[in-house]
Amino acid sequence: MSVWQEKLPHSETWLIGVSGRLDQSLNPKLEETLNDLLENGHYSLVVDLTHATYINSGGLRCLVSAWRRAKAGQGTLTLCGLNARLQEIFAMVGFDKVFAIQDDCAAARGPARRGAHS
Amino acid sequence: MAHEQVLIVPGRYNEIKRICEFVAAGAAEAGFDDDTIFHLELCCDEASTNIIEHAYGQEGAGNIVISYAIAEDEFTIVLRDNGQAFDPANVPPPPAISRESIPLDELANQMRIGGLGLHFIRNLMDEVTYSSDNRQGNRLVMVKKLQKDES
Repeated sequence: MSVWQEKLPHSETWLIGVSGRLDQSLNPKLEETLNDLLENGHYSLVVDLTHATYINSGGLRCLVSAWRRAKAGQGTLTLCGLNARLQEIFAMVGFDKVFAIQDDCAAARGPARRGAHS
Repeated sequence: MAHEQVLIVPGRYNEIKRICEFVAAGAAEAGFDDDTIFHLELCCDEASTNIIEHAYGQEGAGNIVISYAIAEDEFTIVLRDNGQAFDPANVPPPPAISRESIPLDELANQMRIGGLGLHFIRNLMDEVTYSSDNRQGNRLVMVKKLQKDES
């Protein structure tokens, strides 16, 4: 279980990857990673959930909080790679209508990516 | 006759995975599919988190007693604690979110995130009841019906 980050080449966008269960054991690490990036003025974020197998309300809360801060900084927070179970959880609380969600993380990483809400 | 198992763990976040695995094993024994087991794990995670955060108010303040019973037509999960009474019925559901109907600037203000865990429990379980008394503490009962027509 881990959280990692990388700056996408030729872009101001940072990608944050999550592997494992987004529960109480991993949510603090994701929150810390997102907060560090936001506090350093990085408001264009992509969270790759391809290897995330689970998310609870704490994980959603963490992502919503970062989405709000990115938006307040005139940026975006895009999600990609959600499996069917994660998609169901997002839909159950209407967050599929809030976040920009892309199936394909390769597309989300692309240089032509635009903020879905801009 | 219902087959019942009980687990007692300290009310700590790092124990929640054990609670989920305990219930998942029972749910698999009861014959639920993987998707339903995933839902039951999520409900137990959220209920346990609420106990730590709202009933006990912090980690390590008391135990969580979790049990499940497999009956012919239903799977019953009971979570007990001795913290402050916390009735889920008093927590309203989150409002419906529609990107089309409201400006995005208002959306962030409308998103109430405190009740998300309860929203999952209400949506994913067939019955949810809560009781509290001084002698037996708090008791959350969550029931999932077994679909006997599954092959």
